[in-house]
Amino acid sequence: MVNGYKPGSLQEALDIRSRTDAIPYAGGTDLMVRNQKGAVYLFLNDIEALKQITDDGDMIRIGAAVTFTRALENDLVPPLMKEALSQIAAPAIRNAGTFGGNLGNASDKADSVLAALALDGRVRLASAGGERTVRIEDFFVKRGETILRDDELIVEVLLPKSRCSLPFYYQKLGGRNALAISRVAFAGVYDVQDGVIRSISVAVIGEGKFTRYREAEAALIGRTAEEVKENAAACADSFIRNMTFTRGRVSAEYRRTVVRNLLTDYLTSLG
Amino acid sequence: MKEISRSIKKKDHDNKIEGRSVYVDDYPLTASGKRILCGKLIHAAYAKARVLSVTLPPLPEGYTYVDRNDVPGDNNVNIVLDDTPVFCRETVEYIGEPIGMLVGPEEAVVDELLAGVKVEYDQIEPMLDLRNGTEAFFDYHFGHGDVDRAFAEADKVYEEEFLTGYQDQTYLEPQGMMAEPEEDGRMFVHGSLQCPYYVHGAVARALGTGPEGVHILQDVTGGGFGGKEDFPSILGCQVAVAAHKTGQPVRCVYNRREDLEFTPKRHPSLCRYKLAVKDGRVTALEADVRFDAGAYSTLSAVVLQRGIIAAPGIYHIPNVRVTGKAIKTNTVPCGAYRGFGAPQTFFAIEMMMNHVAQDLGVDSITFKQQHFAKQGDMTSTQGRYHFPVPIPAMLDEVDALCALRRKHQAYSLPQTGRFRRGIGFSAIFHGAGFTGSGERDIIKATAKLRKYADGTVEVLASNGDIGQGVRTTFPKIVSHELNLPLEKVRYEHPDTARVPDSGPTVASRSLMTVGELLRRAAIRLRDIWQDGVEQEVEEHYKEPDFVIPFYLDRFEGDAYPTYAWSVSAVEVEVDTYTGRVQILGAYGSFDVGTPVDENIVLGQMEGGFLQGLGYASIEKMQYDEKGRIRNNSFTDYLVPTAMDVPKLIARLHVEEYPDGPYGAKGAGELPLVGPPPAYLEAVEMALGGMKRHRLNRIPYSAEDVILELNKEVP
Repeated sequence: MVNGYKPGSLQEALDIRSRTDAIPYAGGTDLMVRNQKGAVYLFLNDIEALKQITDDGDMIRIGAAVTFTRALENDLVPPLMKEALSQIAAPAIRNAGTFGGNLGNASDKADSVLAALALDGRVRLASAGGERTVRIEDFFVKRGETILRDDELIVEVLLPKSRCSLPFYYQKLGGRNALAISRVAFAGVYDVQDGVIRSISVAVIGEGKFTRYREAEAALIGRTAEEVKENAAACADSFIRNMTFTRGRVSAEYRRTVVRNLLTDYLTSLG
Repeated sequence: MKEISRSIKKKDHDNKIEGRSVYVDDYPLTASGKRILCGKLIHAAYAKARVLSVTLPPLPEGYTYVDRNDVPGDNNVNIVLDDTPVFCRETVEYIGEPIGMLVGPEEAVVDELLAGVKVEYDQIEPMLDLRNGTEAFFDYHFGHGDVDRAFAEADKVYEEEFLTGYQDQTYLEPQGMMAEPEEDGRMFVHGSLQCPYYVHGAVARALGTGPEGVHILQDVTGGGFGGKEDFPSILGCQVAVAAHKTGQPVRCVYNRREDLEFTPKRHPSLCRYKLAVKDGRVTALEADVRFDAGAYSTLSAVVLQRGIIAAPGIYHIPNVRVTGKAIKTNTVPCGAYRGFGAPQTFFAIEMMMNHVAQDLGVDSITFKQQHFAKQGDMTSTQGRYHFPVPIPAMLDEVDALCALRRKHQAYSLPQTGRFRRGIGFSAIFHGAGFTGSGERDIIKATAKLRKYADGTVEVLASNGDIGQGVRTTFPKIVSHELNLPLEKVRYEHPDTARVPDSGPTVASRSLMTVGELLRRAAIRLRDIWQDGVEQEVEEHYKEPDFVIPFYLDRFEGDAYPTYAWSVSAVEVEVDTYTGRVQILGAYGSFDVGTPVDENIVLGQMEGGFLQGLGYASIEKMQYDEKGRIRNNSFTDYLVPTAMDVPKLIARLHVEEYPDGPYGAKGAGELPLVGPPPAYLEAVEMALGGMKRHRLNRIPYSAEDVILELNKEVP
């Protein structure tokens, strides 16, 4: 027996959210496993407003209840995001799992969150009283904790169009070829014009958090791809220095080595 | 291909595909309409501790607590020895050991009560480490030749250590058993199991009833792989005791976490091997084999026996000395898993031979080939390989499939770049049937055919279908001999009240041994067949005349009448940036004798191969410093998925065994045993071979690859 609310509109959902402790439920792929006794859920999968993928001119907007399968079928979703989504779990999970759920579950191994982070993504949150839009890295506090307030819901993920069509680098390492949590994942987006780096992003799974390395990234801007390539190991080091890897299913040394290798490969492949 | 090998639809195919098979957890009520009580176990929280007290929450009416004080007979479960308790004694010996059982009508209430149970312990320092363990349940020694002299006269002596880890069977259906007190006073126990008569003996003893006081039925069983060989005897006793106390049907089904954490797995091993080489040939082997038995001896005796008998692999080595110990540790008791001790020692000898060959500067395929045993040679236990050893021809077949020899040389050259390749191979046997004289002295199998007046025939035997297809292949043999349509011959799930003891469902003996009894019975029935009357024919096992009697006290004689053989090759590409190992191809030639159903056998070969690859690579299970197994979910214990199945080609090579039905030998274990050393040789080769990286343990993960590469001196 499962108890819950099944609102038909976002307004109704926010209203329920503001006055109850019901747990937001989109795809349920993590909540079903958790199977918390006596839980009351706020089912969001009937709300059309949360299931849209749109282009507002500046941003690709992906609703919180959009499933990974739907996103993979949609032409607006950028290639880096699709690459990440296509390696999440298995078809049955992708058919149910959502962008909002991947964020709200507050796992430090969320593959769609990593891709959004590398794309300078934002997340729009709403409550009955108002709304706010924050950067991905500011949304995520630590494993199991985000800034989402008790009265808020995740509405959509925003991906700047200026980043969406740029070349990218992505690699996920799980324990096997499917149904595998990322032990390490790496995502990067870069813009090189006339041999000069205009913008570059680096995002990794393996640190127990979602963060960007703004200083190290900024230090590369304006340099030539050729120069970075020649000094790839040193450039990689400027990122690695700021990273602290967690140990768990694999060791921190494994994570550090793989991220270093991939970073070096990434910096060698620019342009 | 023989007529008998032609593939047919399995008898249980439709029921399973359509979801109509009834597993033990599926019964809403008993067959007689009674409510089934739910039983759940209280598992010990410490690896070694004295249990001072168990304090229960107030139990509502209809809810009962059961422990060792409720066992009407003997609190010792009869397996090989009797050291495993039904419910724990004064101390618990591993995390998860059953202390007692809570029983009642509503599962949710039982769960709630379980959470309220308080157990007071006095902790004792546990012994967890296989290497340092000193208490051996079993300590075997055997050998032949003059080992000391061979080592003294050797040109070079090699010593190396090999390690293998746990492996869990991960059958689809977790362990589950149910007990029903019957009107006539008998206890009816049924569930997910492989060996009805093992459970029969154990339950009769726990209840103190004598054999006639109980009967055991195998329900539809969702896979076993050995994991349901001993454990159902323990769980069967627990539910039977609970049913005895309450007077009502009781069922206990493990959830996946309990199953992964607390039920038997493959023994972790530590093998120390020492080889003497003289004039380029191996002249002596000294093998010191240690298996981690866990807290109770369960099946470790027989697992260890099979393991150490295979210590020299398929190689003819004139001087051999083997020591085998099953070490007691305060961890979950290990038991049977497809291969039964042999994967551990074959891994050791195959890797050892590779490493010695590399040191001698010889290609390991050539080196191994120079040592292959052949027909007439002595086995490790001074028996004989009575029949042709088809390994050289099988090696050629695998070579033709994947250019093994050419790639083996090419990939041995130094490689640079991100992606590097390797190919490995192994050649192994599976000793067909039960080890030693067990078939003759202990099992003494009996199988029956009952012909009914309507002309249908029923097979009466005690071998359970666990996916390997005996419900299909037994009737296939009988219908073949009687020239009857297959629909007229049936084999139901065995109930010990109805079937004779044709032995356990283990060691790939069912088809080879019991199948042959049924073939002979069918021929006799054909000879005496009379229409319109009921007739019965019974056959008893008789050891073939050629067999050299086996003496377990000395490990002398034919440990097996014959052998199944396999050659496996695995080709990999290693990503040196990430450690990821991609399997480019997996190839095997398998001699199981005549396949009694080609599709079933090929399915076994492919499935076993994949389990072997999982064992070698991703199936990692460990306990922490307290002795608790951490990998107790499918998130943390990874087995290969459909996406991890490589290009896999399995071919059959038929070397018929005259005493098996139509020439059949054993098929079950064979495909799992060879792939692990082939896989690891391939990975080692990709990393630059032994000169740079000498690998000696499985599972070997992507992380292991990276950490190994980090050791590389630039």
